[in-house]
Amino acid sequence: MIALLRVYFGDMPEAVYNTAVFFKNSYIDEWFEDPFVQRMVKGVDGATVLGNRLVQSKVMGLIPPTDLSGGVKTLILIYKMPERVFNASTCGDNCARWILQMAKKQDVAINLRHIMDFGNGKFDMEILNTGQKVHSMAELAMVAGDFLRADS
Amino acid sequence: MKGVHEIVVRSNRVQFKFAVQRNITILRGDSATGKTTLISMIDEYLQNGADSGVEVRCDKPCIVLDGKDWELRLSAIEDSIVFIDEGNAFVVSNNFARAIKNTSNYYVIAVREALPALPYSVDEIYGIRNMTARRQKYLPVVRVYSSFFRLYGSNAMHGVAMPDYVVVEDSNSGFDFFEALCGKAGIPCVSAVGKSNIYDAVRRADAESVLVVADGAAFGPEMEKVLSLGHAKHVSLFLPESFEWLILKSGLIEPDQVAEILDDPADFIESRDYFSWERFFTACLTALSKEGHLRYSKAHLNPNYLNDKEFKAIACAAEREGLPAMWEIR
Repeated sequence: MIALLRVYFGDMPEAVYNTAVFFKNSYIDEWFEDPFVQRMVKGVDGATVLGNRLVQSKVMGLIPPTDLSGGVKTLILIYKMPERVFNASTCGDNCARWILQMAKKQDVAINLRHIMDFGNGKFDMEILNTGQKVHSMAELAMVAGDFLRADS
Repeated sequence: MKGVHEIVVRSNRVQFKFAVQRNITILRGDSATGKTTLISMIDEYLQNGADSGVEVRCDKPCIVLDGKDWELRLSAIEDSIVFIDEGNAFVVSNNFARAIKNTSNYYVIAVREALPALPYSVDEIYGIRNMTARRQKYLPVVRVYSSFFRLYGSNAMHGVAMPDYVVVEDSNSGFDFFEALCGKAGIPCVSAVGKSNIYDAVRRADAESVLVVADGAAFGPEMEKVLSLGHAKHVSLFLPESFEWLILKSGLIEPDQVAEILDDPADFIESRDYFSWERFFTACLTALSKEGHLRYSKAHLNPNYLNDKEFKAIACAAEREGLPAMWEIR
């Protein structure tokens, strides 16, 4: 099986829109024992996971996982709950590399309501709106805007 | 509401200091920069006052709006700065656009998706940046200082390269002028007939280098989409507040009357009356020019604006704002 990033652009009623609320009510302590989760927390928030329920943030001090950034909480949900689709427009561009890394480990499906910048490298992405495959930001930019119109 | 309002939100750990000057400000940018922290701190201050350990300093009340009953709550808010965090789906709705139009509030909205129903300026899309000096190795940071920065700063607007093809948002007076300007340089110029068509017009353009001319005062919702095309072709942007603003900047219309307005537009533009600044500048130009030979109409460009003197004055104003001096080439 070749892992693939699948993206649905625009309004997707079945996707979880408010990922922060969903995370608060759904996360499991054991998720934070996963080294990949710990790396994402470090990479995006610059914070260190000290335990299942405790994170050391440079700015805010000791915080619970619910106080992590909206972006990294969404990344963790995408990674740990692949059966659901989440609104990844709660993630900044600094989350894009982690989404691409996840897509190398497992199939990933996300909902984007903006054009995330996946950088200058190559990637394998299926646009779920049409089934079209794109492999670079140049290819993505030429089609993604079609699904982000006012009437989308 | 009108004017520029400075806001300071601080606790012992973090301080945010920024100013808002138009009815709609958008917060986006990277994750983990403090958008939710900022809005949570304001909310905690609202709930608990000084007992929250948060201090909020502003000459206007700062309110956080969220939840299912947003419409009811909003109807009771006046002359305030209203903050809305991401995750509130109502901000993309037409109901929200209708509800905030003609209100006396300013709105600060944390959201990455475009809000096409709202006419926000490219200049009012911000990220949050940590301004604290890099800490010395053995000294603890007492407080992190953060402020807003424009995501689409002057570099995005200026240094516009000489294009092969020009797409103008406008289909009437503004287009008439830029079509004449491009005609002098032999550069094809088309109207997109509205900002929401610009992405498509640029994408379809059979040219290496495309220049987009649009009203910056309301182009915010289209900005990311159009800029993304820069991955596929060379796209430059010329985004004055509006064509009418450019005429006012040209000095053709009673410069003494408009100088004060153009220096500090926020002090003159009431958010309740003008959903975006471009509408104010249109009203301003129309009123100030109604008696003279430069009587302005948005529908069709008064031919007097294409006379040599007037044409050059507007073209020079555009050049000062970053447009290449097209009329001088070829």
